[in-house]
Amino acid sequence: MLKLEHIKKTYGQPDGTVVPILNIPNFEIAAGEQVVLIGPSGCGKTTMLHTIAGITNPDSGKVFIDGIELTRYSEAARDRIRADKIGYVFQTFNLLPGFSAFENVMLGMSFAKGKASAKRAKSLLEKIGLGHRLNNKPHQLSVGEQQRVAIARSLANQPALLLADEPTANVDPSNQKQIIDLITENCREENVALLMVTHSTDVAARFERVVRLEELNLVVAEARAASGGP
Amino acid sequence: MSVFKIAWRSIQHRGTGSILTILSMALGVMMVVAVLSIYGLVQKSFRSNNSFGYNIIVGARGGALQLTMNTVYYLSRPVENIPYEYYLAFRDKETRSRELKKSIAYQARQNSAASATIDDTIGLVGGGLPGLMADAFAADAFELQQDRAMGLGEDGIYQRYTHVAIPLCLGDSYVDPASGAAFRCVGTTPEFFSELVLDVDKETKFEFSSGKCFVENSPENGFFECVIGATVAKRCGLKVGDRIQATHGDPNSASAHIHEQEYAIVGVIANNGTPNDRAVFLNLEGFFLMEDHAQSVEDDSILNTNEADEPEQTSKSEAELIAAANPPIDVDPLADEESFEQAMKSVEHLAGQGSNKSADVAAAETLAGAAQSDYRIPLPIEQREVTSILIRTSKNDSAGILGVVLPPQINRGDLESTLQWSPFRPERSQKASQAINPVEEITKLFEAFVSPFRTLLLFLTSMICVVSALSIIVGIYNSMNQRQSEIAVMRALGANRSKVMTIILCEAVLLAVVGGVVGWVAGHGLNAALGPLIENKTGVQIGFFDFAPGPPLAWLPGGNVLPNSLGRLTVSPEVLIIPALMLLAVLVGIYPARAAYKTDVAKSLGK
Repeated sequence: MLKLEHIKKTYGQPDGTVVPILNIPNFEIAAGEQVVLIGPSGCGKTTMLHTIAGITNPDSGKVFIDGIELTRYSEAARDRIRADKIGYVFQTFNLLPGFSAFENVMLGMSFAKGKASAKRAKSLLEKIGLGHRLNNKPHQLSVGEQQRVAIARSLANQPALLLADEPTANVDPSNQKQIIDLITENCREENVALLMVTHSTDVAARFERVVRLEELNLVVAEARAASGGP
Repeated sequence: MSVFKIAWRSIQHRGTGSILTILSMALGVMMVVAVLSIYGLVQKSFRSNNSFGYNIIVGARGGALQLTMNTVYYLSRPVENIPYEYYLAFRDKETRSRELKKSIAYQARQNSAASATIDDTIGLVGGGLPGLMADAFAADAFELQQDRAMGLGEDGIYQRYTHVAIPLCLGDSYVDPASGAAFRCVGTTPEFFSELVLDVDKETKFEFSSGKCFVENSPENGFFECVIGATVAKRCGLKVGDRIQATHGDPNSASAHIHEQEYAIVGVIANNGTPNDRAVFLNLEGFFLMEDHAQSVEDDSILNTNEADEPEQTSKSEAELIAAANPPIDVDPLADEESFEQAMKSVEHLAGQGSNKSADVAAAETLAGAAQSDYRIPLPIEQREVTSILIRTSKNDSAGILGVVLPPQINRGDLESTLQWSPFRPERSQKASQAINPVEEITKLFEAFVSPFRTLLLFLTSMICVVSALSIIVGIYNSMNQRQSEIAVMRALGANRSKVMTIILCEAVLLAVVGGVVGWVAGHGLNAALGPLIENKTGVQIGFFDFAPGPPLAWLPGGNVLPNSLGRLTVSPEVLIIPALMLLAVLVGIYPARAAYKTDVAKSLGK
């Protein structure tokens, strides 16, 4: 479902030096597979997610989503593919403050052609237990509720792949499990491949497949939990 | 979710900032709408008088604009007057004969003829029939010669170029006792309402919402009937049957005084959106008879033209005679029996007293005195003055050439020569006249004063709009920092750069449109609020639903291919306001939209 081939990405520094940030010879996720990505701060986890989402183009290498070679398309085309095939959950939720919970979820479908459905938005919110908060603005929701709305939004366009960037980093520990469960269960139900970045070893421990993105950005170790997925 | 909805939500989210931006835009638009519509309607109202039923105004020589303002709009300081005979120069022989018989000169001639008849009777006894017949022929020839000299039985010199001629007398006002509001009084003939049209193209006539037009001499009220404009009726609560008194002179000056004569209101003119709505129309014959409106018989100048070699007389004693003269033809003697008897006595008295003053001069004085002391006798022609004469040139002049050609001809002084018929001509009324084309004057006024003022006003108000538009940039741009993460989120959710740029432009357009609509409504609200003030100052009625008048569709580029019925429709320039604002908003919105376009998603997502 997701395939990375010889991805290289560097960042230029103000002093003229070039710092390599990604160097991924090969990486794949199958349809419906749930993978957790771990690694120290600054090792390029978020850059990797941006590259997969087509937000950032790699210096070299190829990204395939659902068989489509994302990296050979223009930015506008990548935007369309992202709108259609990828869901994104951010560390800081990033709900739009002027929009209600319902509208935020609707926004997740608004940029994909023919996918906008008020019915789906409503059912997703009901499914995550926020059926009664449809018209509440983000500032009227708790932190946990806000992240749940963000999860509903990321799944709204029925993506093939969900990218989650430390979704529990800003959530109190009591809510962490609930959030992870929500993501993983929904992905499983809808057969959505999941790539989740986390710093939390507890969260990582719940995943069947854990990928460690070490410094120098080479995928050097990959561990599979013997006991299966979360 | 459409881009408009996303943009609208963003506007809502910025609450106070958005409201302030909308208000500043609304303020600019309100001013533009008010200036456009008030100026346009005033201009239309001023210019529409070319279809008002007359195309020439004759008045005293002096300021042409002042004459126009006085005559057309009943505004500005009153102008000098001109002799009534100038008006007769535009009338046919029937009217002239009827009017000229009201003159002192004619009455004096009649008295001389009465004396001659007595002499003839005495001569018959001594001279026999042949002598009598010769005298009779001579008398007829003399009569004819005198008729010609007076212009009796002849058309006025400009009659053949004239379709309608209406005299106007101005200078008095009606002051509402309750509110103190003053409305101009206009002395005129019933023909003002029967002959003048409100719109030449459509031949629209005056209509009365109640009552009817006054007549020259009514059995109930004599010469003292009037009709009032719709505004006067509404503002003063007047109706048919009420009686009013005019105030002489400027109602704000100390010299102003209320005339003792009361006028009965016999009609209320239906609202027609012209200055006539706020005028009181008095029967001209009554107007002449009010104090200070006629030239006084006691003034030496009135009778000194043919009496240079006569010993100076004390006209006072003559004036004190029980004065009356032959009632004019159109005065019903039965309705006016007392006056008639008095007039007969007067003539007998004059014949019998053997005064050392000639009979004609005595008759003149008695006639003048009678008219001033008895309000049932028309004022002699020589004592009459009018402020202006409204002329609609001959109907055959469809191209309107006479309206342009005739005034210079009249201005050569031909009218002044029409005064020679009467020896009883006060020196002071030998006024030079001028004929003007009101449309030309109004156009000049607009081009010289009003148009530059409008241009300046429009420039200033447009600047307000531009400043308001800039406030849109400032508003949106200031929010861009905070919104970069929002834009980045939308980009991450699949919105491309063009989409986020469109959202920002939509936001600018929505702010401008909402501001424009609010301003447009407020502008018309301002018009409605200022309506009474504008009506007071200019006579133009402006309400909420009065739009700035624009050119006919046929005048617009490519409009000549339209059928006539469509081509005549006019388009208000107000319809351009919202599209112009949208264009302005797009122009000013491009700057923040570009910032949105360039937003670095990867960097902004973490903010």
